[in-house]
Amino acid sequence: MSNIRITAFKWAPPFAQGLVRDLRVRWALEEAGLHYEENLLTFGDQNLPEHRAVQPFGQVPVYEEDGLKLFESGAIVMHIGERCPALLPEDPVKRARARTWMFAALNSVEQHVQNLTSIDLFFPNEDWARQRRPGAEKMCVGRLDALVARLTGRDYLEDEFTAGDLLMVTVLRLLRHTRLVPDRPVLAEYVARCEARPAFQRALDAQLAPFARHEPSAAAA
Amino acid sequence: MPGVRVTALRWVPPPFQGQVRDLAVRWALEEAGVAYEEILVGPAEQSSDEHRGRQPFGKVPVYEEDGLTLFESGAIVLHIAERRGLLPRETQARGRALSWMFAALNSLDPDVIALGDIDHFHAREDWAIARRPTVEAAVRARLAVVDRQLAGRDYLADEFCAADILMLMVLRQLRHTPIVDSYLPLRDWRDRCQARPAFQRALAAQLAPFARFAPAA
Repeated sequence: MSNIRITAFKWAPPFAQGLVRDLRVRWALEEAGLHYEENLLTFGDQNLPEHRAVQPFGQVPVYEEDGLKLFESGAIVMHIGERCPALLPEDPVKRARARTWMFAALNSVEQHVQNLTSIDLFFPNEDWARQRRPGAEKMCVGRLDALVARLTGRDYLEDEFTAGDLLMVTVLRLLRHTRLVPDRPVLAEYVARCEARPAFQRALDAQLAPFARHEPSAAAA
Repeated sequence: MPGVRVTALRWVPPPFQGQVRDLAVRWALEEAGVAYEEILVGPAEQSSDEHRGRQPFGKVPVYEEDGLTLFESGAIVLHIAERRGLLPRETQARGRALSWMFAALNSLDPDVIALGDIDHFHAREDWAIARRPTVEAAVRARLAVVDRQLAGRDYLADEFCAADILMLMVLRQLRHTPIVDSYLPLRDWRDRCQARPAFQRALAAQLAPFARFAPAA
């Protein structure tokens, strides 16, 4: 793997800082010890046709590597993980289990977490959101409690840290505006254990660094 | 792949018949020509510790094969696809297929599920009536992207692959609406996928127990 380039944002609003999905890719690359370059988009430019040509949904991240262009953070982490045993073990059974947790994070847990998070962040004052929130929180809690059951007595979702944990932690981070994770010590310790990894810290710093440089000035706002 | 077992549901209410997620696993196995045994469970088994030990969220499907237990239809379809030629081998084509697999499950499924949730479970609630137009607009924006990808193509990644299986599984959750029919390449792709003999066998296999286990009226 050479000449890896990822597309992320120059700046994002504070509620999204540290949560934008390129964090997953940066973290995987750091775990794999792979150097990468950044292509930073102005917030809003993700809908321009030249970006949509590589990311049809107008999102970030995009991953480029010697002519290969990938979108969807899950697919990109899978691609990186396949060359990095610290993310996806080489043993076929262990690898299949790690991949199952990757899909669990993105398809069974994230939709409920994201549903609650968007109610809280984007529609806090709307009547429909106030009526919907208790049901949305209940669905989210059901998934969190299943994770608590799984993680009780374990450090990671499987025997060792994998790309499944990487994605699951980035999903749980979306709840940072709530008490749902801190109120579940098993989950809180799990997230803290994963976030203490030096690769995570480097990835987070790397996402946040451009945001500080490109902070809109008060005069322009 | 000797001894493949798939756990599915004994019965679900009519709106969900033909869209429970074991359909994607059955379809991938049928495309691959792999025989499998089915294990049928109901609500009591689903909440048991035994089932939760195999499927931590208490859902279906579960896939078992010689000492390997997998859950998550996306992971299972990927596992079958890699071994049975339902995922391109060449790096770039494989990357595109993987991107569309995750797009189905992570960029489309949440909005599609949100719409189904409103229509099936909350249709008369005030919040749902207020919210529905925005959710439908979000679904349509995502579908328009998939529709553009399919214009001039038979399948998402040129040849039929695991991405088509997962995308169709997601879009079948819109069957109670006319939404998919308003996108022509998408509609044609859906019909092309559903005409595949392997899909037909998988669908029939999911539906068969529902007839046997239908609750007495």
